[in-house]
Order: sequence, then C-alpha cells, then structure tokens
Amino acid sequence: MEHVHDETPRAPGDPELIARVAQGDREALGELVLRHRAALHRYLRGITPSAADAEDALQRTFVAVWKGAGTFGGLASARAWLLTIARNEAYRQNRRRREEPTESETLAALGARAGWGHDSPHDLLEGAEARARLRAALDRLGEDDREVIVLRDLEGLSGEEAAQVLGLGLAAQKSRLHRARLRLMALLKEERHAVRA
Amino acid sequence: MQSEREVAGLTCGQVLEHLPDYVDQALGAELRGKIEGHLRGCDVCERFGGRYAEVARALRRELGAADELPPETGERLARELARALGSES
Repeated sequence: MEHVHDETPRAPGDPELIARVAQGDREALGELVLRHRAALHRYLRGITPSAADAEDALQRTFVAVWKGAGTFGGLASARAWLLTIARNEAYRQNRRRREEPTESETLAALGARAGWGHDSPHDLLEGAEARARLRAALDRLGEDDREVIVLRDLEGLSGEEAAQVLGLGLAAQKSRLHRARLRLMALLKEERHAVRA
Repeated sequence: MQSEREVAGLTCGQVLEHLPDYVDQALGAELRGKIEGHLRGCDVCERFGGRYAEVARALRRELGAADELPPETGERLARELARALGSES
C-alpha cells in the first residue's frame, strides 16, 4: 500500500510557540498574539470596568507573556495559562481583588427566578435580537458570574481549565457556573416580561 | 415551583442540581439515565432543561468564538506591544 505524505507544514502548537517566546523569538510571540488576542480581549472586557482598561490589560498580558514565557511548565493548558496571566494583569490594574461572594439564595429559589418549575411555553431567546438581549443580560450580571460564563460558555474552556484560571476547585467552579447561568436566565426572563407588559 | 415531583427516582430539585453536568455531558451513565428518565416523565423539568441548554449554546454561538478584534484595537495592540518590547530589549 502506498503511503501518501501530507506535505502541508504543521502549525506549531501553543506550547511550542511559548517555548520559542521564552528563547526570545518575537515571531512566535506575534503568532500567539494573533491566535489568542480576540479571546483574551473578550475575557478582559468581561472583568474590567471599561473598554480602555481591557485594552491596557491586553497589552500588558502579552508583555507579561514575553517576560514570563519561561515559567510555562508545559503541563498545564496553554490557554488557561494565558487567561490566568490576563486575569492577574486585570486585577493588578484594578488594584483590588474581589472578596469571594457569599451565596445566600438557595439553588431552588434561584432556579425559580430563572423559570424553573413554571410551565411557561416561551423560549427565553425566541424572536429577534437574541444576540443583543444575551449581550445586555451578560453585561448586567455581576463580575464573578460574567467571568465564569465567558470562560466556560463563550470561550469553551473545560471545567478543569476554568477552575485553574479562577483559582477555584472544580466543584466550586461548577457551582459558580450553574448559579451564573441561572441568574442570566432570570435576567432574560425579567426582560421578556418587561417587553410583554 | 408548582410542585416538586419524584420521577424515575429523582426529584425535580435533584435534576436542577445536576443540570450543568447533564448539559455538559459530564455525568456517569447511571445518573445520566436517571435524569433522562425524569425528563421523559416531567414536562416542566424537560422544558426548563431545554431552555438552560439553549442559553448555554446561544452564548457560544452568538457571543463567543469570533476570531477577530476590532481592527483599531488590533492595530493599537501591535503598536503598543512593539513599543513595550522595544524598550525591554
């Protein structure tokens, strides 16, 4: 049997690029920037107070990657490592670290606000402008809720990767995501009722 | 909640608790089977679970995964990065 060789050059993986950045390869840094700038910007926009702050933090993130590429062990997810650096830069800029929120609302009560147990036939996202309504609801969420939703649902990080970025255990990350999604649904439901009223 | 029922060995509250793992396909076969049994027998949870999954999917579809920055943001990033790294070397 004849083997067909694929002559297409293989794109280097993120760990390889980071290793090259650690050796001072600016071209590799440029490639990392192109690959990850949009996702990092989306994430930073969710956890900083303004677009200008997000942009500043994005720039500092890649400078930190340039300086700190040698600290990437290669075992962790490269994407989670980059997001962790972005998070640190955002908080350095904001000069604060939020206190962990205390959850007083039971899951059942939160679920009820999101429509759990109500036999409504209406889809929360039916009709026009679904994207704008989702964006508006996401912007109205608290920072912790928005952050976990951006990581898991927008960027598609695994639970383990998101937990690593957030500095949480897997179970705590999961619980935060669930409550954040329910609060988002509650906001969408609220908005839908306001439109219908 | 209208009334919390037990269907297929799980209450509606237990289904709510496991919803994220169910939607993210992170459950073992046994629990997944029980939840599917509950959803088949409980319209209210079935509808709510569908909405929950749809919101999670829509976030990715509508707001995530775009590969581009606004062009002016990308240009500023390249410029500022070149300046910052220039001063580093």
